[in-house]
Amino acid sequence: MSAVVEHHDHDHGPKKGLTRWLFTTNHKDIGTLYLWFSFLMFLTGGAMAMGIRAELFEPGLQLLDPIKYNQLVTMHGLIMIFGGVMPAFVGLANWLIPMQIGAPDMALPRMNNLSFWLLPSAFTILLSTAFMEGGMPGFGWTFYAPLSTNYPNIAYFVFAIHIMGISSIMGSINVIVTIMNMRAPGITLMKMPLFVWSWLITAYLLIAVMPVLAGAVTMLLMDAYFGTSFFDAAGGGDPVLFQHIFWFFGHPEVYIMILPAFGITSHIISTFSRKPLFGHASMVYAMVSIAVLSFVVWAHHMFTVGMPLVAELFFMWATMLIAIPTGVKVFNWVATIFKGSITYETPMLFAIAFVVLFTIGGFSGLMLAITPADFQYHDTYFVVAHFHYVLVPGAVFSIMAAVYYWLPKWTGNMYDETMGKLHFWLSFIGVNVTFFPQHFVGLAGMPRRYADYALQFAEWNAISSIGAFLFGASQLLFLYIVVKSVFAGKKATAQVWDGARGLEWTVASPAPYHTFEIPPKITKSTKV
Amino acid sequence: MKRAFLGLLGAAIFMFFFSFMLVPLYNVFCEVTGLNGKIYGPSDFFKSQKEQFNRDVNVRFLSQVNESAPVTFYPSSESMTVATDKVSRTSYVAKNNTNKNLILTIIPSVSPGLAAEQVKKIQCFCFEEQALGPYEEQEWPIRFYVDSELSKNVNNIYLSYTLFENNRTETIAMQHGN
Repeated sequence: MSAVVEHHDHDHGPKKGLTRWLFTTNHKDIGTLYLWFSFLMFLTGGAMAMGIRAELFEPGLQLLDPIKYNQLVTMHGLIMIFGGVMPAFVGLANWLIPMQIGAPDMALPRMNNLSFWLLPSAFTILLSTAFMEGGMPGFGWTFYAPLSTNYPNIAYFVFAIHIMGISSIMGSINVIVTIMNMRAPGITLMKMPLFVWSWLITAYLLIAVMPVLAGAVTMLLMDAYFGTSFFDAAGGGDPVLFQHIFWFFGHPEVYIMILPAFGITSHIISTFSRKPLFGHASMVYAMVSIAVLSFVVWAHHMFTVGMPLVAELFFMWATMLIAIPTGVKVFNWVATIFKGSITYETPMLFAIAFVVLFTIGGFSGLMLAITPADFQYHDTYFVVAHFHYVLVPGAVFSIMAAVYYWLPKWTGNMYDETMGKLHFWLSFIGVNVTFFPQHFVGLAGMPRRYADYALQFAEWNAISSIGAFLFGASQLLFLYIVVKSVFAGKKATAQVWDGARGLEWTVASPAPYHTFEIPPKITKSTKV
Repeated sequence: MKRAFLGLLGAAIFMFFFSFMLVPLYNVFCEVTGLNGKIYGPSDFFKSQKEQFNRDVNVRFLSQVNESAPVTFYPSSESMTVATDKVSRTSYVAKNNTNKNLILTIIPSVSPGLAAEQVKKIQCFCFEEQALGPYEEQEWPIRFYVDSELSKNVNNIYLSYTLFENNRTETIAMQHGN
């Protein structure tokens, strides 16, 4: 480190104007772009959810016809998964990974720019079907063949998925190359912060399964336009094969959307309990085992297609096995909180809600894993309640927690704590009022993916819709809080939170445009 | 760094082709384990013929018409009791309800799936495409036998045929003909 360091215009900042964002190769700019894009998609998908819940407010058809309803459900799923949750995590990865491992930027900055700018084009293609004859895809986000191969405008859907997939794969390659090559000297793999670890594992999962999704949609395209019969029984194909291929992608995808949330939660709980995280190494091993197991559980999504008993038992047990590493993580979070000096700032509230509500979603997942019981639950609102519990108060709450937690580092201003807490409580109440009743109607037999329902489900659905409107409206408050903190607010210190540990808290707030151009010195006492 | 990049890119490309490899893998897996009730082409009955008509099995015949096909399609007898290893004969009836020529593909399936391998067909209308003229009615014969290797637990076999209207012009090669 004693070599002469060339000082040339050390604090040169970003370019001015629109080209800054178009041509940027700066990890912080790209992270910001990803986060704003995902927020835009979150509002778009959210508006669709409001339409769905408005239709389901009472039995009968009021606002939408069944075809439009199915289109909204499909697009809500696709947009929230590929446009909301995944880009938000990539945005956080861009902002945080280089700062947490003491690297000046991502390893492949130009590819980073490309992988972001592919996303708006992908979603423009997907959403453009709304203005076409035949309309948006309406076959559910799982696009089961041969229903999907007979749908209009499927080529737009297929190419949109291809482009999103390429974007995700490039993003993941970038994350892995960065983590493997650009850690500051002294940050060994096991010393790495958990958010970085969670992303390293997630990136490997993405590289393994996004190409399989690309293959699945390619086969769909060939069945629809080139006369092949991968999934068409009339030509010797097999529709069940589609489900196998799809869920071979689909289940690891589920963990792609939750592993970074595990990383975020670990940081926040440790900070606001003012204790180092309990069981750092076991957290890493737990995440690795969840990732490995995710490849051998896919058929639990399709227990009812008619599998032999042996396969049903195998997938049931393999699925239940995942409860063990997940249980280790929940235990470690609780043990971190135990006897800590806890304060309840907004990020901590979201993180605690994450642990509690994600665990509820995990338990309903265990119920669904029981094969004989699944024959009753399959394709009911119980499943809808289950995956919304792990994705909304799971993944989405963790993203909100992360935004509140690192926002002062990004903008240099503290957000409005009172407003933040208000946002938390409205979201917390809204999300539970929305999704908890769906367990009940699901167990009572209400099927998913219908625009109408039997009269006995009316009360719970009305309550669920009111909760959804509350949750939806409170996200506008989130937008207001974030925008306000960009322009005004109490100046944040470099440390921001007194219990925070990690390299990102050693740089000024807001983080300078370039950080760690000289690698930080890591000693035994450095907290990373 | 370049090596890591190329390695990961290679992994992604491999996984893309792996998804296509899943198609033959799935079929091989189903064939080896006998899952899924798939039937694999005509069998070489006379090579393996054994004269031991030792057990009776009930075979039921089912028919389904895929939603788009304007055809009436049903078995001429709903069930029959057959002795193992003895060749039996029955038929299905199909009637075209339109004034157009139709090309049809009929896909068989056996339940329980694990018995699929023991249901050996010597003659079947499912081996090739069938053509029906305007309002034409045809009787399609099947000749089959149930191999005595059939598991002792199986006493009822369901033989199901699903009829598809073939909107493609090229003939579909039987995937597993041998």
